[in-house]
Amino acid sequence: MPTDTAMAFHAEGVTKVYADGLRANDALDLRIAPGEVFGLLGPNGAGKSTLVKQIIGLLKPTEGTLRIGEHDLVAHPEIARQLCSYLPQAQMPIDSFKAAEAIELTGRIRGGDRATVRARTDALLEALDITQWRDELGMKLSGGVKRLVGFAMATVLPGRLVILDEPTNDVDPLRRRLLWEQVRRLGDEGCAVMLVTHNVLEAEKSVDRLAVIMDGKIVAEGTPSALKAVDRGQLRLQVMLSPGVETPESPEWVRHPVRVGNNLVATIDEDAASAGIDWAVGLMGQGTAEEYALGATTLEDVYIRLTGHAFANGEDEA
Amino acid sequence: MTTTATLAPVSLELRTGPRHWWAGFRSMITWHLVSLRLWLVLLAVVQVLSGVGFVLGFGLFFEQIPLSVTLFVSTGVPVVNLVMTGMVLGPQLVADQKASHSFDFIHSLPVPHTASAAAWYVVCLIGGLPAVAVSLAVAVWRYDGLPLAVTPDVAPALLLTAFTGTMVGLAVAHAITSPMVTRLVTQVLVFAMFAFTPILFPVEQMPAWLGAVNSALPLRHMADMVRASLTDLPFENLATSYAVVGAWGLVCAVLAVRALGRRR
Repeated sequence: MPTDTAMAFHAEGVTKVYADGLRANDALDLRIAPGEVFGLLGPNGAGKSTLVKQIIGLLKPTEGTLRIGEHDLVAHPEIARQLCSYLPQAQMPIDSFKAAEAIELTGRIRGGDRATVRARTDALLEALDITQWRDELGMKLSGGVKRLVGFAMATVLPGRLVILDEPTNDVDPLRRRLLWEQVRRLGDEGCAVMLVTHNVLEAEKSVDRLAVIMDGKIVAEGTPSALKAVDRGQLRLQVMLSPGVETPESPEWVRHPVRVGNNLVATIDEDAASAGIDWAVGLMGQGTAEEYALGATTLEDVYIRLTGHAFANGEDEA
Repeated sequence: MTTTATLAPVSLELRTGPRHWWAGFRSMITWHLVSLRLWLVLLAVVQVLSGVGFVLGFGLFFEQIPLSVTLFVSTGVPVVNLVMTGMVLGPQLVADQKASHSFDFIHSLPVPHTASAAAWYVVCLIGGLPAVAVSLAVAVWRYDGLPLAVTPDVAPALLLTAFTGTMVGLAVAHAITSPMVTRLVTQVLVFAMFAFTPILFPVEQMPAWLGAVNSALPLRHMADMVRASLTDLPFENLATSYAVVGAWGLVCAVLAVRALGRRR
């Protein structure tokens, strides 16, 4: 992994207060080293998009600094646009573009020479397994393929900081794996990668470090293993409730119960495993639940504990 | 499955100076033209039809249309053709991009704002000039004896008219943050352009106060510039018209570029 720490991304004391008084970011401190894939997790309205828009120069921080190496991104947004590549959560505006054409033109706009950009475009199309759509107009592409083309546009000539906002939205499982390989490769080449996502399970496998942001503040930061270590000695109890039933009252030793649809997810101590099973079986006996599962805690449980929110794929941030 | 992507060529050097500007300008012309690929033919057809429609349609108001009216309409229509893309279509496209959140990506591209604005000006010229030529050709064909006299001034008149129309549109597009308000403003602009500006009829037919208002706005002066360049009629204060249109263009260009770079 490259160790060019002189070009690391730094956010120090970044605060954004909108005109209506909303404090979207509150003294955020972040550092992403070259070669590092960094996850930024948080519920809707937590302040993730506000931070990203400040980095790429769409918003101006009320206080604080944003830097890549010695370059001040707040004072010089034109430098920020050269040093950062950005895949927004929304689909790229490429209805009139052929897939390869959109990627190549973005590479040219980012300052690449024709031969380099063409070679890189071909390689990305092949690596993401979308070569068959290279001459297809964007308007005819499926959402997933369009997303992959957008990823290729954002990374055809990547900046020092690559910001990917929900890169795998709509992408099929096989090609998701290919996309994550390319994200990893960006890190290997010395890019700092900021991955903004709701997909906590994918993030757990893909990032080197992550931060959980809540109400504009970072409430946890570290490697996935370090964050999960806090929950060591605990188990995840998942109960599939019967459709339409009220959420049952949980015993005191069932921690952080959260219901998503008919799924009730909570954590329990390892020594409460037997009691947990008895409780779940009891719910099944009453007809309140249909099945249950007991297993190791995941990063999702950490996230729920920290934010009180559960994830749902495709969730949008305001 | 192969994963043979070549090594990611991370941008190392910051690009500045005229070469960077020129590369961004050229690339953005291509970007805009490809973005409009599906609509460019339709846009050209609508532009031509609206120009031809005015030229031919005005003839229907009269049993025997006076030559002075045909000349006025025929030399006013090019202004409509030239400003329609930049002043009306441009802001609506930006409003659509903002509404669909795709504007963030375009805005994140490393292109100087002045290069991006200049590229859009070229695209607006491409969208307007063919319609100007066709409208004038149809006018000559339809109205016998139409005293058109194309002068060398036609180049600066058309270029400056398109420039100011485009910059007004860019200023509207980027100074107004709400896409809905942008759309409403462009609708008002279209209505005002046809109904309350002396492009297709003489300013003497307007109330004096409205004529005075138009003297401070660019459209009347654009019409005078273009009309003077397409006829050998005498025009007073043509220098004033160039100055007013040029001032509007420059001020709106500055506003547009500042608005493009404005961070909330």
